[in-house]
Amino acid sequence: MNKIINFTIDGIQVQAQKGETILTVARKNGIYIPTMCYISKTSPCASCRMCVVEANGVDGFVLSCNTPPTEGIEITTNNDALQNERVNIMKLYDVNHPLECGVCDKSGECDLQNKTLEFSVERQNFSARDQLREIKHWGLIDYEPSLCIMCEKCVHVCNEVIGDDAIEVKFGGYSSTIIPKNSEMLDCTFCGECIAVCPVGALTSSGFRYRANAWELERVPATCAHCSAGCPLEYETRHSAINGADEIFRVKNNFEFTSLCGAGRFGFDFDNKQSSEANSFELALKAIENAKAIRFSSIITNEEAHILQLLKEKLGIKLFNEDARLFGEFMKSYGSLSGKLHHSGSLDAIKHSDAAIVIGSRIATDNPGVRYALTTASKHNGAKIVYAHPMEDVLMQNVITQMMKYEVGTEEGVMALLAYEILKDADLTESERAFFDDLDLGYIYAETNIGEEELSYMSKSFTRAKKRVLIIGNDLIAHERAGNIAMLAALIEKYSDFSLVVVPREANTLGVSLINTLERDENIENVVGYNAKGDFVISSLGSADLAIPALNQQEGTVVSIDNRVLPTNVALHFSGYTLNDLAKALGVHKDETTHYTQELRREAGFKGIAFDDLENFLSPLGEDNRGYLLDEVALEANGELEELDDLPEFNGTIIYQCDPVLQFNNYTLKAEQLPKDNFLHGSAQFSVAARISDGDMVEISFAKTKIQRKFKLDSELKGTVALNPTFDISVDAGRYRFEKSKIVRVM
Amino acid sequence: MHNEHIQEHFNNRNVTELDSNYYMVDIAPYPTDGWGKFQRVIKRAFRGELFVGLWVVLREMIKFDTHTVQYPAEKMPIGPRYRAVHEMKRLWESDTERCIGCGLCEKICISNCIRIDTKLDENSRKEVSEYSINLGRCIFCGYCAEVCPELAITHGGEYENASDQREHFVMYEDMLTPLDKMKAGTQLEFEGFGAITPHEDERVKKTPLAY
Repeated sequence: MNKIINFTIDGIQVQAQKGETILTVARKNGIYIPTMCYISKTSPCASCRMCVVEANGVDGFVLSCNTPPTEGIEITTNNDALQNERVNIMKLYDVNHPLECGVCDKSGECDLQNKTLEFSVERQNFSARDQLREIKHWGLIDYEPSLCIMCEKCVHVCNEVIGDDAIEVKFGGYSSTIIPKNSEMLDCTFCGECIAVCPVGALTSSGFRYRANAWELERVPATCAHCSAGCPLEYETRHSAINGADEIFRVKNNFEFTSLCGAGRFGFDFDNKQSSEANSFELALKAIENAKAIRFSSIITNEEAHILQLLKEKLGIKLFNEDARLFGEFMKSYGSLSGKLHHSGSLDAIKHSDAAIVIGSRIATDNPGVRYALTTASKHNGAKIVYAHPMEDVLMQNVITQMMKYEVGTEEGVMALLAYEILKDADLTESERAFFDDLDLGYIYAETNIGEEELSYMSKSFTRAKKRVLIIGNDLIAHERAGNIAMLAALIEKYSDFSLVVVPREANTLGVSLINTLERDENIENVVGYNAKGDFVISSLGSADLAIPALNQQEGTVVSIDNRVLPTNVALHFSGYTLNDLAKALGVHKDETTHYTQELRREAGFKGIAFDDLENFLSPLGEDNRGYLLDEVALEANGELEELDDLPEFNGTIIYQCDPVLQFNNYTLKAEQLPKDNFLHGSAQFSVAARISDGDMVEISFAKTKIQRKFKLDSELKGTVALNPTFDISVDAGRYRFEKSKIVRVM
Repeated sequence: MHNEHIQEHFNNRNVTELDSNYYMVDIAPYPTDGWGKFQRVIKRAFRGELFVGLWVVLREMIKFDTHTVQYPAEKMPIGPRYRAVHEMKRLWESDTERCIGCGLCEKICISNCIRIDTKLDENSRKEVSEYSINLGRCIFCGYCAEVCPELAITHGGEYENASDQREHFVMYEDMLTPLDKMKAGTQLEFEGFGAITPHEDERVKKTPLAY
């Protein structure tokens, strides 16, 4: 099957796997072939022709980026003819390219500059009549057509990796440009990936434009703090104004292999600028000493979580974090059947899969990293993607092959059906088989609203798939019957070739759930809030009783969805106290917060590597060398599936707690560039049912909360569930996200 | 080479060569014994050398031909390459500022005294919004002028920058050539290293613009 092809490049004997091109093999072997439009994570654009090589026995030049080698062929990557061809290409690129390098945002890191110098183009013998090309302002993105070299990288990433498919090439020879697809204005999720891949200064960030130059900025490698995908990024800092402190000017990423969503790219200014009162440290100490519990959010580092755990043990207080507790319990139930602590899948597994089921998550906004991985799988492997959720999602429309719409609250039934369908022929134990035999299928079909034919259609479309992934979202983790759902997921993973990815809700939910012993959040008095609500609030969100650094102001590690422990670094200085200072004063002593890195719980899979020994880079071939993967932990497999509970019914007005694109939490709310769309979004059907219309101010009450929002009629939505954003309020992160609510119009 | 017009002439300072202008000064031997030293003291005390010196002063006083520069009423001319307080030049063609805000001067500054901030202005051009040089830190090395790709920042002849505190700043507006001076055509061009070489126009290569 895996045929190996032997051939030579420049006289060097090399080997290619099936599916590899001459260029990828050359790069693997350290042989340099210049390219302008090639980008590793997409299929070859083949627009630049810089990568031409000669092959013996073949007339003319061969494009190495999209040509697979044949057995025994001899490739020449450089000779006079090839050099001449490349110099001419560079000259053509340079025709009428504005000589504004001095002010261009890309100057100093520009591919065109580099290659023009590399091929020493010092004289121009081509010319063309220049034309008026106006700058386009597309919100967060600016497009300057006169600088564009039509490499088409932006179009390819937008379509193949991100999935927005928002831009396209308007062909027209010399007057070709990039235009928004099917619309006047750019209508997309503003991930800014097109800015990242642009080799010249044509696509730029409007917020950064002309504010600083590449050579002035200091780069700090870090990990994105907004969701659990743990994307690598670099904060670029410089002084602000002429006597200001340092400021993050922009965020960049290794776009060759990784992607970043708009929140990561544009939502970088969430640093804590608050300075505390002189006596607040003493007050904080007193508050912790007298506290019954500490309530904290999962947007903290592992080291902070570890210190909190040590404080808990030392002072005998409780720790509350509903989001991580539920995740931990989900994984515990999962482990009780699978016999191991960590899920088997990763973003890479999703990228390489050819079949995937996403269930219980509005994944495009919950975790863009997973969305991009799914898009990659769909576009590059033709993956079949089943999206099971009570609501359709327009953002996933291009990618999914089957929408499995179920009734709100019936997740347990849906999982049982999926497991039943997938494990039809599996070699189950007797008790497990008995569980499936006892299922009242008719009842489940009726209550979940999933038809038998939908399941068989799924099975049919998956028949030829070899790498399958099951992606489980927060609706299942926070479900009342999460324990049983987790065991069903474990069962699927155990007896089929599905790998499993459980999507943690916050940036470090996974890490916190492994490190802390958490208790159920009771509404008691005397709670210290750590980045969360409390009677005394220690927080990096501003207006706290004691200010602490935000995630871009401290070093430490977080655990990503890949079970990878990722280091992050200090981009901005914070003058104030940290949790470690409090811990030191309370008798838990270590000089630096990062000295706890090697002491993180070995029983949970942490490796005991010191912070300073953690690497944080991607190799030139894209191998992830950031941090380390958690060790697998074996558990006792003694879990028993419970009988299916009655499936609940949700009637009346239901809201779904779901953030809009580019928003995740109170930190992204602080970011200046990110749009703050805090409307209650509902369909026309919902507006009729709730008797409200577009633009109405409404009061939404659910549980004990009452908030007021404007209602926005969203033509992209269907059904009777409305979307309620949570980034600007603090909704307890452990709740089941669908909620019955009362909505009344206020004047 | 294009810079053959730059010719430097050095004095021949080689003492060993015959045609050099150096010669040994004739100095009488010093006395070594007590008697000799005594004789020298007597000789110096009574020869009236003091009055020779006083006569020189008196003579010059009467002649009224002094070389003393009456600073600050009078100032010595300084060379074009003198490196004193910076100036920001304007373009001759349009009177607009030459500085494009590339930040290279800030980057190269070894005493870290330059701070620059730029932004997008309302005409979609890059505008220098803030610029300052801390003259208390500046060592007047001239790197900023040397690195400037636009010949925008240069050193001027203004060396009187005494101040009553260690830190004192000069801002962009203070350094910029005033418009009236520009209109009058009296902006001085920097003639030091990095300045436009003579006959620059003849050396420019043409790009082929067929239309």
